Amino acid sequence: MPKCLVCYKWTLDEQDIKIKSEDLSLDSSRAKGKISDFDRNAIEEAALLVEKDGGAVDALTYGTGTVKQSLKDALSRGPGKVYWVADASAENADASVTANVLAAAIRKLGQYDLILCGEGSSDQFNQQTASRIAALLGLPCVTFASKLSVEGDTVNATRKLEDCQEDVSVKGPVVISVLSEINKPRIPSLKQVLGASKKPNEEIKLADLALKPEDLQPRAVRKSVRGFLMQRKNVIYKESSAADNVAKLKASLASEGLC
Amino acid sequence: MAGIFIFSEDSALGKQLLTPALELKKALNQTIVALALSNSDAKELAALGADKAVVLQSENKWVDGLAEAIYTQVSKSEGSVLLVGGTLRGKGIAAYVAAKINAGMVTDAKTLKIEGGNLLATRVLYAGLATCEEEVVLPAVATIRARTFLAPAAPTTAGTVETVTVEGEPRITVGAVTPTGTAGVNINAASKLVSVGRGFRKKEDLKLAEDLAAALKAELACTRGVAEDEHWLPIERYIGISGQTVKPDLYLAVGLSGQVQHMVGCRESKVIVAVNNDERAPIFEAADYGIVGDLYEVLPLLTAALGK
Repeated sequence: MPKCLVCYKWTLDEQDIKIKSEDLSLDSSRAKGKISDFDRNAIEEAALLVEKDGGAVDALTYGTGTVKQSLKDALSRGPGKVYWVADASAENADASVTANVLAAAIRKLGQYDLILCGEGSSDQFNQQTASRIAALLGLPCVTFASKLSVEGDTVNATRKLEDCQEDVSVKGPVVISVLSEINKPRIPSLKQVLGASKKPNEEIKLADLALKPEDLQPRAVRKSVRGFLMQRKNVIYKESSAADNVAKLKASLASEGLC
Repeated sequence: MAGIFIFSEDSALGKQLLTPALELKKALNQTIVALALSNSDAKELAALGADKAVVLQSENKWVDGLAEAIYTQVSKSEGSVLLVGGTLRGKGIAAYVAAKINAGMVTDAKTLKIEGGNLLATRVLYAGLATCEEEVVLPAVATIRARTFLAPAAPTTAGTVETVTVEGEPRITVGAVTPTGTAGVNINAASKLVSVGRGFRKKEDLKLAEDLAAALKAELACTRGVAEDEHWLPIERYIGISGQTVKPDLYLAVGLSGQVQHMVGCRESKVIVAVNNDERAPIFEAADYGIVGDLYEVLPLLTAALGK
């Protein structure tokens, strides 16, 4: 019966971020928060494992004060309890700071058999957290799992890599990152949403984590952000005759040397 | 002590890493140490500009488990930059070493340079909506995806080659390893791609796209929805933020709307063509040429026209 911990990130929904055409800066004033897409797969996988084998799932997140908005959503997806670290340092945290905080929080929380992460966050997609946490905690790490099962104290995973599928097994505790294809995250039912408000959440104060000032000092600092501007010819054929459109497209492709 | 370290388990990608490494060498005036899995790779890397190539020889064949050995090599020389080929295995290794040496890491850097003694790199954010520049204090780690750089062409003075015996990760047991090369197809290498989205109503209808691909001598690619939700095509063929990134000469997108998560995987294509019945679909903003129309009508006509 595995004891699982899922780490998730509360991010801005990139669909709501607009690029300002005058200076290519980003306008996120209307962007709502969401649990990072791939982290929902990690939460779902932990919930499925525990629904099948018994055990328990806790969730852990680190973010600015806005992480509090995520707690109910996280709890409605399966975890029995959510721990949260809210601190202004998260605003400019790079993957190194994030992993330092999460690893310190996990040390404080005690032992878990499985620590799960998504394959990357939907905002930064650094894809570093699982490997960094494992390195900091001295645990083995299995990244990019497309299938997961637990037998006693052994965790079996299938990894999906560029050119192969690889089956690995490891005795827990272990840190695992999951691919988005591993499952389809549930859309919480009304009952699960209502149930979430009865589940506990607990704040972990950053000050209680025995971190040194340099642990909270980002090594990678974002200097500038520019919206990506597609510069394309935008020659669109939209006559009523499909045959005419096709003939024009063929001529265009020929002019590009493509047919 | 110092050094610019490079590592990739993918021989071709390892050579590509030498190109940015040689630029960093000019700026930092430090030697390049290439870490390799085989003697033949090491020799090639030494011939193409690595000052020293080190073969990491291990009984344990699990490449991911060499992270500790790579950390040892980098830390004992107090290396200033580590560039790792941005494969899935490579990303895990890079992040492990970054955590151990307490370094910042740039995932999938597009450009790299040294400025004011720090590493300055560009990469994408928000699933491709934006690009950003990150400044990382040294020591710094970066992953670089395949084909971001070309391998250096002209051989320079050959560097030295040495072999060290290293330990793997004893806690992980590797079982079956099944190659997934989709019948020898590598959509990364295709010069033309026909990419399908959920504008197709059922799997059988993809025949229309297959015929068009045959007429164009193109390969078939798809969106995440087509691969992961509908399972109409293998996952290896899906283009996007967590899928493949391609740069073909022609990317012909059919029945796909052009969400940013998809476009990030194909927007460096030379020419993008869209066929979609929704004139307001974002794909038309991202396209060089497009036809607004019903793909069921347009595709057979286009296939016939191109087949002539």
